Amino acid sequence: MVNFLQHTFNGLVGGAFLALLALGLAVIFGMLRVVNFAHGAIYMLGAFGAYVLLTEVGLDFWWALLLMPLLLALFGIAVERLLVARLARLDPLYNFLLTFGLTLILQDAVKSRYGVQSSPYDAPALLSGTVDLGAFDFPAYRVFVLVVALAVCGAVWWLLTRTRIGMVVRAATERPELSTALGIDVGRWVTPVFGFGIGLAGLAGVLAAPIRAVNPLMGADLIIVVFAVVVIGGLGSIFGSVAAGFAIGLVQAWVQALGEHWALLSQVLVFLVMAGVLLWRPAGLFGREEAPA
Amino acid sequence: MLRIDDLSAWYGEARVLRGVSLDIAAGEVVTLCGRNGAGKTTLLRCVMGLHTGQQGLVELDGRPLTGQPAHRRARAGLGWVPDDRGCYATLTVTETLTLPPVVGPDPWPLERVYEAFPHLHARRNAPSTTLSGGEQQMLALARVLRMGARLLLCDEPTEGLSPLLVAQVGDILRQAKQHGVAVLLVEQNLHFATTVADRHHLLAEGRVVESLENSEVAAREQDLLAYLGI
Amino acid sequence: MRTKALSAVLCSTALLASACGGGGPQGASGAGGLSDGKVVFGVLNDQSGAYSQLSGKNSVSAVELAIEDYKTKYGDKAVVKEFGVESVDHQNKPDVANAKAAELYDRKAVDVILDVPTSSAALKVADVAKEKKKLYFNISAATTDLTGKACNKYTFHYAYDTYMLANGTGRNTTEQGKKNWYIVYPDYAFGQDMEKSFSAAVTDAGGTIVSRDAAPFPNTSGDFSTYLLKAPTLTPKPDVLGTMQAGAELVALVKQYNEFKLRDKGVGLAVGLMFLTDIHSLTPAALAGTTYTDAWYWNYDLVNREFADRFKKVTGARPTFAHAANYSAALQYLEAVQSAGTDGSDAVVAQLEGKTVSDVFLRNGKIRAEDHRVVHDAYLAQVKQPSEVTEDWDYVKILLTIPAEKAFRAPSPDCKLS
Ligand SMILES: Nc1ncnc2c1ncn2[C@@H]1O[C@H](COP(=O)(O)OP(=O)(O)O)[C@@H](O)[C@H]1O
Ligand SMILES: [Mg+2]
Repeated sequence: MVNFLQHTFNGLVGGAFLALLALGLAVIFGMLRVVNFAHGAIYMLGAFGAYVLLTEVGLDFWWALLLMPLLLALFGIAVERLLVARLARLDPLYNFLLTFGLTLILQDAVKSRYGVQSSPYDAPALLSGTVDLGAFDFPAYRVFVLVVALAVCGAVWWLLTRTRIGMVVRAATERPELSTALGIDVGRWVTPVFGFGIGLAGLAGVLAAPIRAVNPLMGADLIIVVFAVVVIGGLGSIFGSVAAGFAIGLVQAWVQALGEHWALLSQVLVFLVMAGVLLWRPAGLFGREEAPA
Repeated sequence: MLRIDDLSAWYGEARVLRGVSLDIAAGEVVTLCGRNGAGKTTLLRCVMGLHTGQQGLVELDGRPLTGQPAHRRARAGLGWVPDDRGCYATLTVTETLTLPPVVGPDPWPLERVYEAFPHLHARRNAPSTTLSGGEQQMLALARVLRMGARLLLCDEPTEGLSPLLVAQVGDILRQAKQHGVAVLLVEQNLHFATTVADRHHLLAEGRVVESLENSEVAAREQDLLAYLGI
Repeated sequence: MRTKALSAVLCSTALLASACGGGGPQGASGAGGLSDGKVVFGVLNDQSGAYSQLSGKNSVSAVELAIEDYKTKYGDKAVVKEFGVESVDHQNKPDVANAKAAELYDRKAVDVILDVPTSSAALKVADVAKEKKKLYFNISAATTDLTGKACNKYTFHYAYDTYMLANGTGRNTTEQGKKNWYIVYPDYAFGQDMEKSFSAAVTDAGGTIVSRDAAPFPNTSGDFSTYLLKAPTLTPKPDVLGTMQAGAELVALVKQYNEFKLRDKGVGLAVGLMFLTDIHSLTPAALAGTTYTDAWYWNYDLVNREFADRFKKVTGARPTFAHAANYSAALQYLEAVQSAGTDGSDAVVAQLEGKTVSDVFLRNGKIRAEDHRVVHDAYLAQVKQPSEVTEDWDYVKILLTIPAEKAFRAPSPDCKLS
């Protein structure tokens, strides 16, 4: 029982990363109808940025946690203004290809400067111990990751559902043309929303740096899983992407804990679930069919 | 207030409006009739600035709207009542009502809207797409009233409504008219149109083929119905 | 211009039949002399991906050092006067490796292919070598199949293999009293092979495998926490966590091992395969006390150190065992050509088979005739405590030298040469 609780808790931590990444992807897709392939590379930049801030600027984890999401959000804003916006009128496939190309450039740029080897990065001293969670001990850093992820998802939820900005973003996301006809300058929200989604990926990257291998390819495989999570939750569904992120994290942890021969299943599971969900509800668990244009 | 001069519109190569001209003064209700596919919705979309392939002049209060994006036109006083009623699955009824900015000198406060439409008040926290068809139509109209829009672009607001609701739509439009609001009304229901409108334009294959004063309609009713294919 | 182009066409047509003008190939092969007048090495490895630091471009520098040493040693008496080195990226993909190997042998006049990390790619190249009857020294792949069912007359396996790693670390750690093992391995050919070899070595030395888990590969999340949570809850509690992960996955697993404080909970760490570059990535602090088997270590003695200094002058980095082994393989190939007086493949193989050798990489080395396994001393290594590290890249101490005859498995009956 205690073991089960431990694995459950641990699954939530794994899900936290998926949820943060899926959330960013979902807000970007909702607003721009762009599937941002570069999300994994931004996650990598978040982690690498933390490493560079530490080794070349001397700023520790806490600074990185604050600065990297902001810097990457600014980077996202620049990318949106200079590149994504230019392709906005064309088939969404063009922007998908753009972000795909951007991924390769970012990965190779980091690779050529820092090599493919993983770079060392430690958890901050304050969080390097364990916390007593009653039934079991758990690494403090992981508890911190879960708390941050829940707080961020909660804050986004509040922002979207309880504020006027959130209402406008929801309207612009759901029916962009109708919303402009009602006096909403939808274009004005595109850039900040893109930057915000990118910032979330950067945050996930900084959080990953102390516990995962920091190297140029760290986001390359992960992003495929995150795509599956977003599809399961319902493309563009904010709530769905977060819920699916945590759910997949949990299920993966449970299946892996079953034993030796479950490894393969735990990896393909997310895609099996995706296929099942698509057959059952083509728009995803929390998605809606696209409104007619 | 609104002047349309020699307006043409295309979908790709296909020309669907061929030099349409018409005027609407403040407090005037003008209908646009015509068979399905005549180009009525396209004309409204051109005025709203939602249609990209257009040529010709659209003027509001003597200022050309050419090149202005839709959200600016809305802020200049255009109220959009689309044929699909424009509801949101992610917005409640109250949010759907308060989403647009207030753009005119004479907006309805929310309380007044809910007084006039008690059904909407009862469902105020429900997603607006979950309302019935009639309620959604009322919502779309109530929304532009709350904006204080000076010119309403209404695309078949009575379509599919019960006679009781059709009458209510009529009341709303007449009330708006009394406050000096102008209405460009796309309408297939000729009988209803005569109860609210000052003038009628008949649109066929992208051209205005006939323009009538409301008083002239009675005499020509059979002709017109034949034109509309009813 | 036109005549030039025409003559080029004629010339290349004529090439098929005979030599064309000065400087063309001498057409000598077989009995004596060199094919096309020179020896060309083909370094086929990963130059952009996960293994590009542990061998990669720097392996080319190692081969060039060997050429230099050969020239110095034989001077005027050298049979080989002209040299070439071709270097190609196989991206760790078997099909790319296959195509590039054929191209190297056929079109780039390569006499011997070196390196080739990634077992699946390495096995493909062995097939090409066999078909083309050209030499192939595998350095950085681990599969024992190269000297088992996939062995052939022209393929030599030079530096290490899964048996050597498992036997070195598994046997010795168990014999030191850490008897209960929990093994975590990546679920693909290398990992499965390593797990089998480790389990066999541990059981053979009187230890027990308490539990084993296959981790997904590639592990998209980069997370191994499930296994680390599980380790201390097993009964009996394992003394050692044996990880067969490599590269970035090893880095992630070790980070998380430290995060879950398993060493404090009495579960030690043994690593299946680790390169100096991995320790550099993780920092010695993260790995302090971890044991693994090394095929060679740059600061083991003065001979190694001298080579490491030369290598650093050219590349700016310290050599991994793969770099040293590439150097050694190139050198031993040239020695064999020198003795044979020709670079004809059969004659060179005859020179190599059964030869006992010693150089900077091969200590007590022997090129086994039975299966072409190159055996040599191996080392049980332990990562130093941070306080013990006094020089950059000097991260490990050698606990034990495993003698050549014990370090590798006996020739496999699966291997039928010729
Ligand atoms: N999105 C579109 N793409 C191409 N043609 C269209 C599109 N929308 C409408 N049309 C065509 O334009 C013409 C006018 O359509 P519309 O303005 O919707 O007519 P109405 O509202 O009078 O029924 C029709 O022939 C219709 O087929
Ligand atoms: Mg229409």
